[in-house]
Amino acid sequence: MSPLAFALRGLVRQPGRAILGIVGIAATGALLFDMLMLSQGLVLSMERILAGVGFDIRVTASQATPLSGPPITNMADTVAALAALPGIEHVVPLRIGEAQIDISGRPRDVTFMGANAAGRRPWTLLQGRDIEPQDAAVSPRLLINRNLAQRLELKPGATITLRGACTANSSVPPTVFRVDGIAEFPFDQASQLTAITNLRAFARTCGDAKADEADILMIASKPGDGPASAVEAIRRVRPDLAAVTNEELVARFQQVEFSYFRQISFVLATITLFFGLLLITVLLSVSTNQRLGEIAALRALGFSRKRMVSDVLWRSALLVGAGGVLALPLGLALATWLDELLRTMPGIPANLRFFVFAPRALVLYVLLLSITIGVAAIYPLRTVARLPISSTLRAEVVG
Amino acid sequence: MSSPPSPLRGPIVEACEITRVFPMPAGPVTAVHGVSLRIDPADYVAIWGPSGCGKSTLLHMLGCVETPSSGALLFENRDVSSLPDAERSDMRLRKIGFVFQRFFLLPMLTAWENVELPQAEARISREARRLRTTELLDYVGLAHRAQHRPSQLSGGEMQRVAIARALANRPVLLLADEPTGELDRATGEQIAELFDRVQRDGTAVVIVTHDQAIASRARRTLVMRDGRIEREGIAG
Repeated sequence: MSPLAFALRGLVRQPGRAILGIVGIAATGALLFDMLMLSQGLVLSMERILAGVGFDIRVTASQATPLSGPPITNMADTVAALAALPGIEHVVPLRIGEAQIDISGRPRDVTFMGANAAGRRPWTLLQGRDIEPQDAAVSPRLLINRNLAQRLELKPGATITLRGACTANSSVPPTVFRVDGIAEFPFDQASQLTAITNLRAFARTCGDAKADEADILMIASKPGDGPASAVEAIRRVRPDLAAVTNEELVARFQQVEFSYFRQISFVLATITLFFGLLLITVLLSVSTNQRLGEIAALRALGFSRKRMVSDVLWRSALLVGAGGVLALPLGLALATWLDELLRTMPGIPANLRFFVFAPRALVLYVLLLSITIGVAAIYPLRTVARLPISSTLRAEVVG
Repeated sequence: MSSPPSPLRGPIVEACEITRVFPMPAGPVTAVHGVSLRIDPADYVAIWGPSGCGKSTLLHMLGCVETPSSGALLFENRDVSSLPDAERSDMRLRKIGFVFQRFFLLPMLTAWENVELPQAEARISREARRLRTTELLDYVGLAHRAQHRPSQLSGGEMQRVAIARALANRPVLLLADEPTGELDRATGEQIAELFDRVQRDGTAVVIVTHDQAIASRARRTLVMRDGRIEREGIAG
């Protein structure tokens, strides 16, 4: 009988204890797995969202985030200058403001954006047709997000009235838009209402028809050239602007905004691992101490110390292994549930995921559990390895 | 039952002035003091004496479980004290069988598996194990109980399985520590008869007991007191 089969029979012999251990490890393992997914989840999710937008460089007037800093002035010239750079394929100027809309007789805030995007667009059209930059129709065109479409039961072709609220003292009359399509905006929050039109209609709605500004320029570098060289070129021609690649943006998030979650995940993962370790150590130690007579007898019968030690290690591996495997679906289910909860927090984009499965998390999880197998077995291993055969047999008889 | 392979010409165990001292918090305790003896092939020895006289410690030294604190102990002409733990384990596995007062059968294994276990540890082939286990369970009269677990066996049956297990790897020496201590007189008698038979079949048997009736069945009886062999009796 191999040490594995021997250990398996030992666990089956005490099903209650084995199940308790496996369930305990499954619970702690699920938490550990979740914490490992959380440690890199936001970063990976943000990378995916940014990559999915289709633009790899963002340019603002200052290092501040859009809306919190000044806008880019002389937008048209700036766009033309940057678009002329050899490594740049698309430049889309974007303005971000607010508007109000009446829903059931009550005014509701809408995130209102303006963009001149001819080829590539930083949104995904779901239904209808896209807006054009130079649309001169009497009734300007609008794309709305799914939330707004559902709230107002709007379909492409419908009309909608927005009141610009881009400045504090806005007294611009409302603008009637025709809804051309329904789109998904990558950074929308779960219940956010969003609408986008071209820059001309945006300016008109906001009451600054002559403004030649943009809050952010979305730039796509040419394939093959890469965003880094394009950013270098932008910094050379317009050192007054702040240009960042997606990679730099994620690094900034990682250092500042996401570091809180990374720290939480580290602390919780450590605590979880400690409790898992404690659980297995206790179970193995109790089980080993109850079998001391048996172990001493087997040693007397000629079973080597190595064999008895491997028996304890296999028991640990079986408990942790079975619990660890069970923990994976449990952890994924728990992560899905927690993700849904966390995404309802204000200011969190609906597409952002806190818990993201990545091979790295799985590798780290397996590695940590492997270490747990060994560390949890140290004390019982020491007991078995140092067991005095003669006095243990004597004690068993006297006891 | 087939007898042990390669019978020895010389003694199996030869002890010369062996002493075993246990360090204790209150001071060292000498459990066995200057004992000399030899166990020959197919010998039948009983070690008899009151509790605490050092019988079990002596038995454990003869079985290479303990090493003497002083003196020389040779097992098949090899100095036991100089052997590393792994080699002594291997020697016990292949040359020595142990029977304990409390049986120490593995409760999660059947009688068959308990007897098969030391053979598997000695890397005996599956087919050879099957034949040997069948032979041994038949030898101890428990072929019909092969698939029963220890909890489903009586005390006497458990001790029979333990004896079969001890004989699994055809040892040259069978050591039994109070093998009837947990059994009633009638069952103890049956177990003693089994030891008689094992010895007749060619395996040297050493039994530690405080039961004079059991001790009297052996060819030689060593009477111990205070860690020493007080006298040796040889049966008629």
